[in-house]
Amino acid sequence: MALESGANSWAAGQEEKQTILIPRTLRSGQSVFYPGNVVVIGDVNPGAQVTATGDVIVVGALRGMVHAGAGGDEGAMVVAFRLEPTQLRIANHISRPPEGMPPAKQPEVARVKNGVVTIEAYVPGERVGAGSRSAFFQKGGGPEQEEGNQSAQGGQEGLLPGKFNGGEGKEWAKSLS
Amino acid sequence: MGEIIVITSGKGGVGKTTATANIGAGLAMRGYKVALVDADIGLRNLDVVLGLENRIVYDLVDVAHGYCRLKQALIKDKRFDGLYLLPAAQTKDKTAVKPEQMKEICHQLSEEFDYVIIDCPAGIEQGFKNAIAGAEKAIVVTTPEVSAVRDADRVIGLLEAAELREPKLIINRLRPRMVKQGDMMNIDDILDILAVDLLGVIPEDEQIIVTTNKGEPVVQDQRSRSGEAFRNIARRILGEEVPLMDLERNGNLLTRLRKIIGLG
Repeated sequence: MALESGANSWAAGQEEKQTILIPRTLRSGQSVFYPGNVVVIGDVNPGAQVTATGDVIVVGALRGMVHAGAGGDEGAMVVAFRLEPTQLRIANHISRPPEGMPPAKQPEVARVKNGVVTIEAYVPGERVGAGSRSAFFQKGGGPEQEEGNQSAQGGQEGLLPGKFNGGEGKEWAKSLS
Repeated sequence: MGEIIVITSGKGGVGKTTATANIGAGLAMRGYKVALVDADIGLRNLDVVLGLENRIVYDLVDVAHGYCRLKQALIKDKRFDGLYLLPAAQTKDKTAVKPEQMKEICHQLSEEFDYVIIDCPAGIEQGFKNAIAGAEKAIVVTTPEVSAVRDADRVIGLLEAAELREPKLIINRLRPRMVKQGDMMNIDDILDILAVDLLGVIPEDEQIIVTTNKGEPVVQDQRSRSGEAFRNIARRILGEEVPLMDLERNGNLLTRLRKIIGLG
């Protein structure tokens, strides 16, 4: 299964990645570049920029520019309480939110699925990472709650279907025009 | 020792100079000694807004270079006891003063005055750096426009980097009717992005244009809405708890009548 192989490379790559914590809001003109994962406790305002070779997690509103997997890692993801970026990049995929769509009032996760940047609702306690992470957790002997969750979900990926695309998650525009 | 406050915005034309003049006059009306410093060297305006242009002999650059004493350059406002202006030079540019000299001048003024209020130039270059060098607190002025809010956000970041933490926000030129129709950013939209304390909201008011052109601060106009807003801001700076005024009140006769009969 393609997802499983991706999972292994994710898990292998992840062990090397460091994570930096940014305990404040990034304002316009401020930027963070980090070779690893970035966690922002605060907002990323319009005009601010976060670039990471790994994942980007924003515990707040993400309204600026974000680039996860900047080294080319297509398994990287972006999670934010409010995912409303000016532009969102994962590896070499560039996307922007569709115009005229009201922002979701809930946490969301963005990653590359079938070559397209896809946004889905993120539910706390559910696993993200399209099965790759669950494989990682199982390998590492994750807590029992994780396994219980999985059986409740019927062993499928721990994600809610996107609201706009009948269970497939919404896709963001690929072109920048 | 008085407080040294810089009034800044990033974007030009949002009302820094008007706010400086009116807050200064508002504080002076309440009996405090206030020094206004125009840090916009080369594009001085504060003297014009205050109607003191024709009394300038020495300016900020002269003081910085030691051509005169600080007291000689200060202009006393005749209408408000305790209000003084240190004007900017018009024939020099921003490089004529160094941040250390600004710091020293502000410090000297704070020994004499209860409040030293610095009118910052637009932009984030040398003039901005000079203006904030001596300040202990900052007030950021914005209008309900995305460009002004973006610049305010940038400036708040720069202020925080310069150890000027927790700046206060003034939202200027708000049009309640446009906000109500969803055509203008509302107060919550702005605070959501900037995440700073609100010091006051000033409604759009034609009276400001009239009084500014005459060189009379609108804060002394008891009938105008913007004057009331500036008086409230002055009181909040003094530590009073003043609720935000009801911006809807200024509807035209028809909307007010509608409200009275319960249709509004």
